Amino acid sequence: MSILGGGIFKGMAVTLRNFVGSYFYKERLTTNDYEWRPDGALPQSIGDYPKEEGEQLSDTTTVNHYSRNFPMLLHDTGEPMDTIRCVACKICERECPPQCIYIEKSTEKIENADGKPQFYPAKFDIDVSVCMSCQICVEVCPFDAIVMNSQFELSTPDRFGGLLVRRDDLLKSNDYYHKIHPQEAATRDQKMADDKAAKEAKKKAAAEKAKAAAEAKAKAEAENESKEDAE
Amino acid sequence: MSFELIKDILIATVPLLVIFPSLFAFTTWMERKALARIQNRIGPNKTGIPCTRIGLFGLGQPAADGIKMIFKEDIVPRGADRLFHLLAPILALIPAMLILCFLPLEFPWGKFMSAPVQAFLLDSAVIFFFAISGLTTLAIFMAGWASRNKYSLLGGMRAVAQMVSYEIPLVLSAVVVVMMVGSLNAKEIADAQTGFNWFVFTPWGLAAFVIFFIAALAETNRSPFDLPEAESEIIAGYFTEYSGFKFALFFLGEYIAMFAISGLAVTLFLGAGDGPFLTSAPWLSVVWFIVKIFGLIAVMIWLRGTLPRLRVDQLMAFAWKFLLPISIFNILLAGLSHFALDARVAATSDAILYSIHAPHTHSGAVNHAPPKLVAGQKEAVMGALHYTDKNWVGAMEWFFKAALKGHVQSRSILAWWFGIWAMGLTVLYVMAKGLDNVSRSEVKPREYLYAE
Repeated sequence: MSILGGGIFKGMAVTLRNFVGSYFYKERLTTNDYEWRPDGALPQSIGDYPKEEGEQLSDTTTVNHYSRNFPMLLHDTGEPMDTIRCVACKICERECPPQCIYIEKSTEKIENADGKPQFYPAKFDIDVSVCMSCQICVEVCPFDAIVMNSQFELSTPDRFGGLLVRRDDLLKSNDYYHKIHPQEAATRDQKMADDKAAKEAKKKAAAEKAKAAAEAKAKAEAENESKEDAE
Repeated sequence: MSFELIKDILIATVPLLVIFPSLFAFTTWMERKALARIQNRIGPNKTGIPCTRIGLFGLGQPAADGIKMIFKEDIVPRGADRLFHLLAPILALIPAMLILCFLPLEFPWGKFMSAPVQAFLLDSAVIFFFAISGLTTLAIFMAGWASRNKYSLLGGMRAVAQMVSYEIPLVLSAVVVVMMVGSLNAKEIADAQTGFNWFVFTPWGLAAFVIFFIAALAETNRSPFDLPEAESEIIAGYFTEYSGFKFALFFLGEYIAMFAISGLAVTLFLGAGDGPFLTSAPWLSVVWFIVKIFGLIAVMIWLRGTLPRLRVDQLMAFAWKFLLPISIFNILLAGLSHFALDARVAATSDAILYSIHAPHTHSGAVNHAPPKLVAGQKEAVMGALHYTDKNWVGAMEWFFKAALKGHVQSRSILAWWFGIWAMGLTVLYVMAKGLDNVSRSEVKPREYLYAE
């Protein structure tokens, strides 16, 4: 038996705490109170906006480490198309709730960062006017190829073409990812490394097992042969 | 028409037409700011003095909004009924402005002029209030119908269903106060509560105030009862097809209705213009009134930032299966307990007063000894006198003093008082809890057409 209307008061206490807390604790605010374009003086700390004149159009515009806006494609260090992680498996296209991703698979394979021949997206478009920033594509991607960007100054005079972001504009380096979401990028890299190690260990184990099996088989065969010889 | 009459009319109406729309502008800013803070955002903070970078906490926002609204294109859908599409926002605003006249507001400058303090000193102000505020429903449905848009129509129909349902508990909760005062006149209701005899300080008044406030939220389409304009379900409900100044009129009408209904709640339950320091500065009464209105509006905004929207079936079940029975029960309880307490205290007060006067009035030779002073007798008499003036709070204060000094009759009065408070609240709570258990609408789990 709970108190009648107790949930309402509980909820009101939570909102009151937010209301009061947002005046006293700056870190509560989900957005920065960014200043007008600075007249000479540069902001001091990381995340201040904007750091330099014109920088709001470049890639490093980010509000804070937790802001997410629209997806981007990742590539490892090197030429973007040589080290692209995406293999055009189209899982994200299929899972996207508002269907804002369009992918065309390449016909031939090229070598990826690991030197393995893989397919790559000949076309990878995201319509950011349709995207609802749900981050489902990020969660379903098995290759850690798509993650969320935090660039927010996306206004454009072109209503249709300007909001359709193409593959080459979506491609960002892993270093950039580390810059905007350091924690998340570190965990993701760690996870990828672990996966890779686990995979290799498994492969190694399997190879050893196969080797052992082969040896055993060879031994058995040899025994058989010796038996036959004996007979 | 004489000059005096015109002057009186202007003095009575202009404050309403000037003060409340400007309060509306301030309230929109306050609402945006409060909601932003509740969601850990900053809210409007850049729109201050034009052409400068002085933000003024975004206080220029209402002015900027107003200018934008005036210059925006007024779009009328091709299939719409042009006349009614135009009329609806006007008709939504008029009743909202009209009902402001029934509030017992005493503007300070009324003291120095021959003007009436109220626009309408009606004997049936409360009834008129409900009758005229009911007209808003019509305007909203007119907007929904004339827009020729399915979302507008759905919103209009939801509004009609909701407002008709919630008007009943609204009126029934006000009945309690009308019963106590014995008058429908807003001024008399206000006068009955002077000296902190607010009706919200009685168990039935408290319950009625809560019911009234909930029903008022639904009447003014405020969250969590904002189904007629639920943006996640039906775009913007009845004002989907409104833009520019017509939209602004609707918006204004809605906020004025909020002020009016909060004003009525203040009049009925929160003592109207009653407050501290009134003897030294009577003009404070209008300030207290508006402060109380703003207090209620702040709670409305707070609730909007807290609660999610109800479903349609929950909305209807809540009105008919919960609020209606409990408001009727509250009337019954108020009648019984109030008159029980009244009879008890009246009898005891009479006894107290009689015990003072009796030795003097009796001329029998036997009883010539001077009256023996019982402990706390003086205080008890003061309480009894206050009670005959219907100043319940003052009476209880004196009875309490007498009881502390060991006066037995005052103790029995206080015991009755506390007993009735406890009993009233307990009975109301148990009733509400029971109704809540009965009236919760059950939801069947959804059957999916395409099984996974």
